[in-house]
Amino acid sequence: MQRKIRTAALTVILLVPLVTSAPADWRALNSAQAAPPYTYQGTVRAVNARTGTLELITGVGMSLRVVRMTTAPTTRVVAAGTTPRLADLKPGDVVRAECRRTAAGLVADRVEKLAVSAP
Amino acid sequence: MTRPRVPVALLLLAVGCQKPLKPGDPLRGLSRAEGDRFDRGKVVFDSVFTPETGLGPLFNSTGCGECHENPAGGRGDEIEVHATAFHAPVCDPLAQEGGPVIQQHTTPALKQALGIDEEPFPPSATARAMRTSPVVFGRGLLDLVPDSVLLAYADPGDQNHDGVKGRPNRFVDGRIGRFGRKAFVPTLREFTAGAFAAEMSVTNPQQPTEEDIGGKPIPAGVDPAADPEITQDALDLTDDFVRFLAPPTPLKLGKDGRRGRDLFSQVGCASCHIPTLRTGDSPVPALRNRTFAAYTDLLLHDMGADLADICLGLATPADFRTEPLLDLRGAEHFLHDGRAPTLEEAIERHGGEGSGARDRFKALSAADRAALVAFLKSL
Repeated sequence: MQRKIRTAALTVILLVPLVTSAPADWRALNSAQAAPPYTYQGTVRAVNARTGTLELITGVGMSLRVVRMTTAPTTRVVAAGTTPRLADLKPGDVVRAECRRTAAGLVADRVEKLAVSAP
Repeated sequence: MTRPRVPVALLLLAVGCQKPLKPGDPLRGLSRAEGDRFDRGKVVFDSVFTPETGLGPLFNSTGCGECHENPAGGRGDEIEVHATAFHAPVCDPLAQEGGPVIQQHTTPALKQALGIDEEPFPPSATARAMRTSPVVFGRGLLDLVPDSVLLAYADPGDQNHDGVKGRPNRFVDGRIGRFGRKAFVPTLREFTAGAFAAEMSVTNPQQPTEEDIGGKPIPAGVDPAADPEITQDALDLTDDFVRFLAPPTPLKLGKDGRRGRDLFSQVGCASCHIPTLRTGDSPVPALRNRTFAAYTDLLLHDMGADLADICLGLATPADFRTEPLLDLRGAEHFLHDGRAPTLEEAIERHGGEGSGARDRFKALSAADRAALVAFLKSL
C-alpha cells in the first residue's frame, strides 16, 4: 500500500512541472500557428506606394481610428475584375485588408478594393 | 352570431384606451425578460463614470444620461463640437487628429499632465460643427427599417423633378448609414458603442482602444482603468435600453392640428419627412414589422449653404439627414445645432432641397402656418 502511495506521489512530483509549464508554451505556439488574420475594412486615408504604406480609417459609430499597415512584395492588391497596384488606390476608396501582426507592425497580405457605389 | 363581436369590441376598446406613451417609456409588448433588460440598461445609461471606472482622459460627458436627460433618453442642453476636413470629393474625418468628435473636457490627471482643459481642435480641420444632443426615443424602430426602403426613397438624380433628391450616406467601411445628423452610422448598436468611446472615452469590447490626443499617445499614468472599461454585458444592456425606448405617443389633434397635418403634406414637408416607416424582421416582437410615425427618410439632403458645416462620409458640408420628428413638443430649440428657437424659424432656415417646401410654407396665411406648427407641436 505504502509502495503504491510512494509511486503515485513520485508520479505527481515528476508530472507537475510538465503539466504546469507545457501549456504556456503549447498555447503560445498554438496561437502563433493559428493566429486569425487581422482584417480591417475601412476607407483609405493615405497610401504611399514608394514606402508601401497604407492608412485606413476604421472604427465604430462616431469613434474612429486610423490603422497603419505596410505591404510586402507578395501583397496581393485586387479589385473586381482587375488587378490594380497599390499606387492605384486613393483616399476615399473602401478596402478590406487582411493583415498579420509582426514585430514591425501590421503587414497586409491582401488588399481588396471594394465596389462601393456613390449613391 | 353576435357573441363573438363582444370580445373583439372589448379588445378594440382596450387598444383605443391604452395610456399614451410618455417620453422615456418602453415600447408596448416587451416580454418580461425584455422589460427587465430595459430596466437594467437604464441603470447603466444613468450611471456616472469616473476616471477610475473608465471616464476620459478626454470626454464630453460623465454618462449617457448627462446629455440625454429628463427623462433618460431625452434631450439635454449640451452642445458638442465636431470637426472634419473636406477636400472635395473626399472627406477626412480627422481620426488621426482626434476627429470627428472633439471632446470638451479632460480629467484632472490629463490636465495635470498636459495642461489642457479640452481636446485640441484639429489643425487640419476645414470646418467646425456644433451639435445638440438629440432624443433617442424610437431609435430601435429606425434601426430596423430595411436598407431597401431607404434606397427606394432615394432620388439622387431628381428623376421626379420635385427638387428633392435624397441619397444614403455610407460609413467608412462602405455600409449604408442612418444614425447621427449626417446619417453616418449604420446601426444603433454601433452608435451606442461609439458613443461610449467618443463621448466619455469609455472603451468597450467594440472599441477597445483609447483615442490619441492630437495624434499623440495618452501620457502614462493618466488613464487608470484597464481596457475595455465596460463589459459586453453592460454595453448590451445599454443598447437594449435605447432600443426599447418608445417614441412618445403624439398628442390628439384638434381641428387646427388636423389642418396642419394636411398642410404638412401639401407644402412638401412630407417629401423628406416621410410620415410613417415600417420595420423589418426582428427577434423582438415589439419591434418586428411595425409601422410607426417616423417623419424621416433617413437620407441625406442638401440643405443649403447657410446651414452647411462639416462633411462626414459621403455627406458634403451642406448635406444633412432628414431629422426624425419625434418628441418635437419637448424641444426648446431646433435644427442640428439648436440655432432655431422656434419651429417656424427652423422651417424658414431650410435651404437647398428644402427651399421649395420652405417657400410654400412662407406663402401660407398666418392661420395656416400656425396650424402647421400646431401639428408639429403634437409630435
